[in-house]
Amino acid sequence: FLGAGGGNDIQWCFSQVKGAVDDDVAEADIISTVEFNHSGELLATGDKGGRVVIFQQEQENKTQSHSRGEYNVYSTFQSHEPEFDYLKSLEIEEKINKIRWLPQKNAAQFLLSTNDKTIKLWKISERDKRPEGYNLKEEDGRYRDPTTVTTLRVPVFRPMDLMVEASPRRIFANAHTYHINSISINSDYETYLSADDLRINLWHLEITDRSFNIVDIKPANMEELTEVITAAEFHPNSCSTFVYSSSKGTIRLCDMRASALCDRHSKLFEEPEDPSNRSFFSEIISSISDVKFSHSGRYMMTRDYLSVKIWDLNMENRPVETYQVHEYLRSKLCSLYENDCIFDKFECCWNGSDRQVEFFSLCTSDIPSIVMTGSYNNFFRMFDRNTKRDITLEASRENNKPRTVLKPRKVCASGKRKKDEISVDSLDFNKKILHTAWHPKENIIAVATTNNLYIFQDKMN
Amino acid sequence: MLGKGGKRKFDEHEDGLEGKVVSPTDGPSKVSYTLQRQTIFNISLMKLYNHRPLTEPSLQKTVLINNMLRRIQEELKQEGSLRPMFVAASQPADPLSDNFREAQPAFSHLASPPLLPTDFVSTMPLESCLTPASLLEDDTFCTSPAVQHDGPTKPPPPALQPVKDSFSSALDEIEELCPAPTSAEAVAAETAAGDSKAQPSESNIHKPEGLPESRTAESKLMDPLPGNFEITASTGFLTDLTLDDILFADIDTSMYDFDPCTSATGAASKMAPVSADELLKTLAPYSSQPVTPNQPFKMDLTELDHIMEVLVGS
Repeated sequence: FLGAGGGNDIQWCFSQVKGAVDDDVAEADIISTVEFNHSGELLATGDKGGRVVIFQQEQENKTQSHSRGEYNVYSTFQSHEPEFDYLKSLEIEEKINKIRWLPQKNAAQFLLSTNDKTIKLWKISERDKRPEGYNLKEEDGRYRDPTTVTTLRVPVFRPMDLMVEASPRRIFANAHTYHINSISINSDYETYLSADDLRINLWHLEITDRSFNIVDIKPANMEELTEVITAAEFHPNSCSTFVYSSSKGTIRLCDMRASALCDRHSKLFEEPEDPSNRSFFSEIISSISDVKFSHSGRYMMTRDYLSVKIWDLNMENRPVETYQVHEYLRSKLCSLYENDCIFDKFECCWNGSDRQVEFFSLCTSDIPSIVMTGSYNNFFRMFDRNTKRDITLEASRENNKPRTVLKPRKVCASGKRKKDEISVDSLDFNKKILHTAWHPKENIIAVATTNNLYIFQDKMN
Repeated sequence: MLGKGGKRKFDEHEDGLEGKVVSPTDGPSKVSYTLQRQTIFNISLMKLYNHRPLTEPSLQKTVLINNMLRRIQEELKQEGSLRPMFVAASQPADPLSDNFREAQPAFSHLASPPLLPTDFVSTMPLESCLTPASLLEDDTFCTSPAVQHDGPTKPPPPALQPVKDSFSSALDEIEELCPAPTSAEAVAAETAAGDSKAQPSESNIHKPEGLPESRTAESKLMDPLPGNFEITASTGFLTDLTLDDILFADIDTSMYDFDPCTSATGAASKMAPVSADELLKTLAPYSSQPVTPNQPFKMDLTELDHIMEVLVGS
C-alpha cells in the first residue's frame, strides 16, 4: 500500500547495491539504462559495453515480513557489439541507450534494447527440464552406433538446473542515419517507435525489413539545422498519439491518424522564456533530456538541465508544475559548459501506480504522485506533487545498512554552510545519477550511479 | 573550476565569468559581458575543434554549440565587429563530414591561435589590422555557385595596397576562369574598381598577360607571407563557405568516386565542399615530391594548375 498522500511520507531505506566496489570504473561497466518490467519482478540494466543484466526479485518469503524480496542476477547477455561504419570511418558504439520491456504474454519475457543504430528484440526464456532417454543419442549427445540399438523408448523430460537463455528474435537495423535516443512500445503492443536526432520511425514488432518514417525534421539544407529530437514516447492509452521533445525545450504531440508523415504537430508545448533568467546558456539548459507520460496519460513530465516540469496535455502554453532540481547550478553554467556537464542527459520517472488505490480514491490528492530524478554527487531528488515537499537523497555505500532510513541531504548554495550541508563547490560532478526507475507497483526504486545499481525500498512496519 | 569534490577556500569575489549574468546594456558591466561572451565563444570553438572522437560526435551537442556561436556572431555583427571574428568562425572543420579527419592536420596549426582574431576585436580597430580580414571575407576563389557572397568586395586598406594589387589581379584571373555567377559579380565589381583606379592602358595590358601574371601572383600566394596570409591560402577554397557549410554539409559520397583524370563538370561542381587537404591528397599522384598535409604551401605551380583545371572542369 503506497500510503495516502499527506500524512505518510515515504521513508526510504537502503536495500541492495550491485556492481564493482572499487573506485576505478571500467568504461564498459558504466550503466546506461535501467528499466523495470511491467510486473516489477524483473529489473534490467544496460551498460556501455553493450551488455544487458537482468535481476529477478525473489518470491516474497512469508516469514520475512519486514522486507520485500531481493533482486538477484537472473540473466546476463551481450546485446550489442561494437561495429564499424566503413563509409564514415567511425565506430558505432555498443552502448545500450534504452531498454523497454514488452508485457508478458506467455512463459517467456521479451524486451527491446537499442544502441545508436540497431534495435533488437530479445527473448528471455527459462529452461528447467530437459529430455532424456533418446534412442539414437547418448546422454552427452553423441550418436549411438545404430547396430547397438535393440529397443525403443520414449524420451521423457527430467528436471535440470534452471537455465535462463536470451536469444535475439528480431533485429531492426539500417533505419537510422543518426543516433537513436528513444524507443517506445505502443499500447497496441504490436508496434513501437524509435527516434533519432532528426527522425522517428514506426515499426511492427514482427517485421524487420521495413519501417515507416513518421517524423522527419531534417532540413533540406543542413546548414539550417538548429534543433534536434531528444526524446519520444507513445501515449500509454491512445495508440495513435505520441510526443517528442526537442533541444529547444519544446514538446510536440502528434496524431498518426492526421497524416502519414507527422511533421505538423497537433499540439506544441512550450513555456515562454523567463526574461530575468536569460543567459548565454538559456537554450542549452532548456533542451529536454527526457519525457514521460503519467500512468493515466493525462500528464507528461519533462526534464531539462535544471528542472522537472509537469504538463497537462490540455494546456500547451506552460507547465502546470515546475520543480527545481539543482537551481544552485545556475550560477555555474559557464564552468558546466566548459566541462561538458551541461550536456548531461538526466532522466526522470513517475512513482508506481496502484490501480486499486486510484479506483477507490475519492479525490486525486489521495493518490500518491511522486516524481524522481537524478543530480550530481550521487544525489537524487524526489518531488511529492500532493504535499509539495521534496527530498534529496544520496546513493552511496556509506548508507549500507538495510532498514536504516536514508538521511536527507542538503546543498548549500551560498553563504554560511550549516552542519551536514554540502557546498556547491564540493560537489563531485563526475558522480552523476542519470538513470532511475520506480517499481510499477511498489515503493521500490532502482538508482544507477556511474557503475553501481542501488535498490532502495520504503520502510515497512 | 568544478573538480572532483576537493574543498577550496571561500572566495569573496566570484569569478567574473560566473555569478549574475550581466545584460549588455549595463554600462560598467558591459566589459564583463563582453569578456564572458568572448570566453564562451572561445570555449565553443575549442569544443568543435578539439573533438576527435573515434565515434561520431553527438549531433545535439554540435547543434547547441553551433547555435551558441551563431548567436554570438549575430551579436557581434550587430555591434559592427564581425569581420575579425568571422575569420575564426570560418576555420573549424566539419566534425560530421568525412573531411573532418583529413582536414584536421591542415587546420591544426590554426587551432593554436583561435584567440588571435579576437585579440583584434578588443585591441585593434579594423583599419590597422595586418591580417587581411577583408581579403578573407572577399576571397572569391572558385567554389560552389550556390554559395552567396555577403556583399561586394571592398577596397583594400591603404597599407596593403602594393600586395593587394597583384593579389587582386590574380584573383581576377582566377575568377574569370570560373563560371560561378557570384564570382562573376565579384569580377565585375573588381574590374570596375580596378578600372576606376588603374590607367586604361594598364588594364588592357593586364588581360593579355593573363596566365603568366597569374602565375607570379600565385607564387606570391603560396609564399608564406606574414600574419594570417597562410590562413588565406589554406582556407582559400573554403572562404566562401560559412561555418554552417562546414559543419553541416551533407556527406558527399561522390568524392569517393572522384577521379582526377576524368574531370567532368559534374565532378567539378561537386568538388565544392572538398577541403584543401583533400585536394592535396588527390594531387599526390601528380607530384614528384610527397605532399604532406602540414606543408600545403610547398606545392608546385603545375599542381596549382591541375587544381584549377579540375575546379573549372575544363
